[in-house]
Amino acid sequence: MDFLELEGITKEFPSRSGPPARVMERVSFSVREGEFMAVLGPSGCGKSTLLQMAAGLLPPSSGEARIGGRRVDGPPPEAVYVFQQYTRSLLPWRNVRDNVAFAVEHRIGRRRARAAAEVQLAQVGLAGFGDHFPWQLSGGMQQRVAIARALAAEPALLLMDEPFSAVDALTRLDLQALILDIWTQRKLTVMLVTHDVEEAIYLADRIAMLTRRPTTLAEIVEVGLPRPRDPIATRELPRFLELRHDLLGKLLTRHAV
Amino acid sequence: MLSRSVLSWLPGLLVLGLILLGLELAVETGWVRRALMPPPTAIALTLWDLLASGEFVAPLLSTMELVFTGFAIGSALGIAGGLAMGWFPAVFRLLEPLVELMRPIPKAALVPPLMLFLGIGTTMKVTSVALAVLFPVLVNTLQGVRGTDRVMLDAARTHGWGTAHTLRHLVLPAALPFILAGMRISLGLALVLAVLAEMLSGQGGLGFLILDMQRSFLIRQMYAWLIILAVLGLALNGLFLLAERRALHWQPQSN
Repeated sequence: MDFLELEGITKEFPSRSGPPARVMERVSFSVREGEFMAVLGPSGCGKSTLLQMAAGLLPPSSGEARIGGRRVDGPPPEAVYVFQQYTRSLLPWRNVRDNVAFAVEHRIGRRRARAAAEVQLAQVGLAGFGDHFPWQLSGGMQQRVAIARALAAEPALLLMDEPFSAVDALTRLDLQALILDIWTQRKLTVMLVTHDVEEAIYLADRIAMLTRRPTTLAEIVEVGLPRPRDPIATRELPRFLELRHDLLGKLLTRHAV
Repeated sequence: MLSRSVLSWLPGLLVLGLILLGLELAVETGWVRRALMPPPTAIALTLWDLLASGEFVAPLLSTMELVFTGFAIGSALGIAGGLAMGWFPAVFRLLEPLVELMRPIPKAALVPPLMLFLGIGTTMKVTSVALAVLFPVLVNTLQGVRGTDRVMLDAARTHGWGTAHTLRHLVLPAALPFILAGMRISLGLALVLAVLAEMLSGQGGLGFLILDMQRSFLIRQMYAWLIILAVLGLALNGLFLLAERRALHWQPQSN
């Protein structure tokens, strides 16, 4: 069953001279319940803009996003957005525990939110770090805090905006494994935006390929790799290499023009 | 650690001591007229009398109360106004011309008209101080609110935070460094306006006493009260820096 539906999403931004600039043109696709969908496209193609419209953080100029059959106008309770810039999305004056409590404190109160935060921190491997401040942690650990915060809201849909692009290669592998674990355990639906072909193939069930601006949907690629995935073995499978060859080629052509 | 900080203070204290010594000698040798500038030792004795007799307590408390009340009211109004103007565009459009008109007026110049309306009592003095405090706090708060990171605000939105919770727990703490910088400027202004209002109203507090002593040719007393006022200013500033460091304890220490 489709959980997130994007239908005819078009986005224009006002420009100072002349008519508004159309950055996205009638993008339509759906993400099934429990599916891991990656959105792949050249940089500057508006992947994040699309994700923000799905999250209700930005209204589309025309078309609509639906979550669980309901039209998105404003952030829906069942979806949480994970930001690329963890240094800007975490509150620097709050320790790690209170940054995670952020997700639910306005609903269940500070005290219970803190208790919930400890549970989530343990899940992302940060048990015992509750009293640290974000600036005392490495980039990878800060993004774990951001993931714990998103999980604390107990969302059905996780919308991730290049969440691993700002950390080093090894940390990225760790975080990818973490997100796959969480996705499997909690039966989440995930839409993850990335410009990293291998990341998209490694994580996703299907990949939505976008074009350059004005952005349209180029195609949807079925990954078809067995699960559970292994950070080394999966990347050596013939199907993985074939997909990488194919998608990287397409991405490069689109990027070059 | 302690001895080092004492050592770093030493040159400055030495200069101060030399100036006092020079002044003492200048008065003793008749270079400076004793009637205008009594020797520092004589001022010190007068000061000691004021302190020992407890005579200093009531005027000091009176000025402190005025500064604190005015500062608290002005800061509260400034923060509330800055938040409202920074967050709600309609409030900004409504109040911006008024703020821009009032802001450049030296608030000292408003004391005489305020006396017409509010008399020479506490209300007038507190209002004068609060008016001086209000604008730097308001303008800084406004700037801080507008500078709140978009990503942080989107994080609050995606987690379903309402406006009140966002203002209280995100916008206000994010703007706090700006607000405190504005309040630090305002604290100095508060003291200036408190002293001036006391002088013009002709009653109560350190400001009144300094003017009164000068008019009565009690020059040593005038200087003694001036020193008490200086120490008050120093103490208030120190207290504020302490409070500021506590409020911003989460900031990584850069030095």
